[in-house]
Amino acid sequence: MRRSLNINPVPGAAAAEALPRIVAFVEEMAELDDWAPDLVLRSNLILEELILNTLTHGRTSGLSDIEITLESGVNSVTITVVDDGAAFDPLNDKPSPDTELPLQERSIGGLGLHLVRTMAEDLEYKHADGKNHLTLVARAGA
Amino acid sequence: MELAQERDSGTNVISPAGRVDGSNSADFHEALAAAIADDDSRVILDMGGIDYISSAGLRVLLLVAQRLGGSSTPFAVCSLAASVDEVFRISGFNQIITVYGTLDEAKAQLA
Repeated sequence: MRRSLNINPVPGAAAAEALPRIVAFVEEMAELDDWAPDLVLRSNLILEELILNTLTHGRTSGLSDIEITLESGVNSVTITVVDDGAAFDPLNDKPSPDTELPLQERSIGGLGLHLVRTMAEDLEYKHADGKNHLTLVARAGA
Repeated sequence: MELAQERDSGTNVISPAGRVDGSNSADFHEALAAAIADDDSRVILDMGGIDYISSAGLRVLLLVAQRLGGSSTPFAVCSLAASVDEVFRISGFNQIITVYGTLDEAKAQLA
């Protein structure tokens, strides 16, 4: 099954307000297509990190729409996120944090996108028609 | 987000339950900070009731671990669900925070 959800950010609203809608959307798809529990958790994590990154890092200028599309596969789901905010390549524009640093030197910056890049497969980004297009695949039990 | 707590001769065992995501990580941080006392001799966070944690929740764990590390208070987490363990490994958090398989192991070994 293939379904889409549109998030239309309200200026000034807390970014996290979008989260319950994303979780509900993922869980609805998961129930309809009988996803494995770890696929649900991974899809939720990937979407939370991507959408909160878009909504919280000063990229909301000109952003009016984020469209999330989920398409169920065999033990996998293809996730597509298209937004009309400022151009940003989540695969390359933000370096991964050094995950080897000792405790007191660690910071959290970049960890969300690092999680996405590591957990997802077949990641593709392009900027076209004035929009960011990101496609990736989450797989169960990988 | 619920958070149970039990103190036994200086060992503070904190057991949160539910999801930790960007919508409640500030509450999680506040509850954890309030549950930890300066005179705790060691702190164990039993994560057995958490099946989902995002980078927003990891940030809270990092801040708590750094605070306890700064005061040389032994700190560990235990009983990670497979999904949480995966997030810990990808983030390298298993190298900066002590992880035990069970609460009993944590109580017996954390020093």
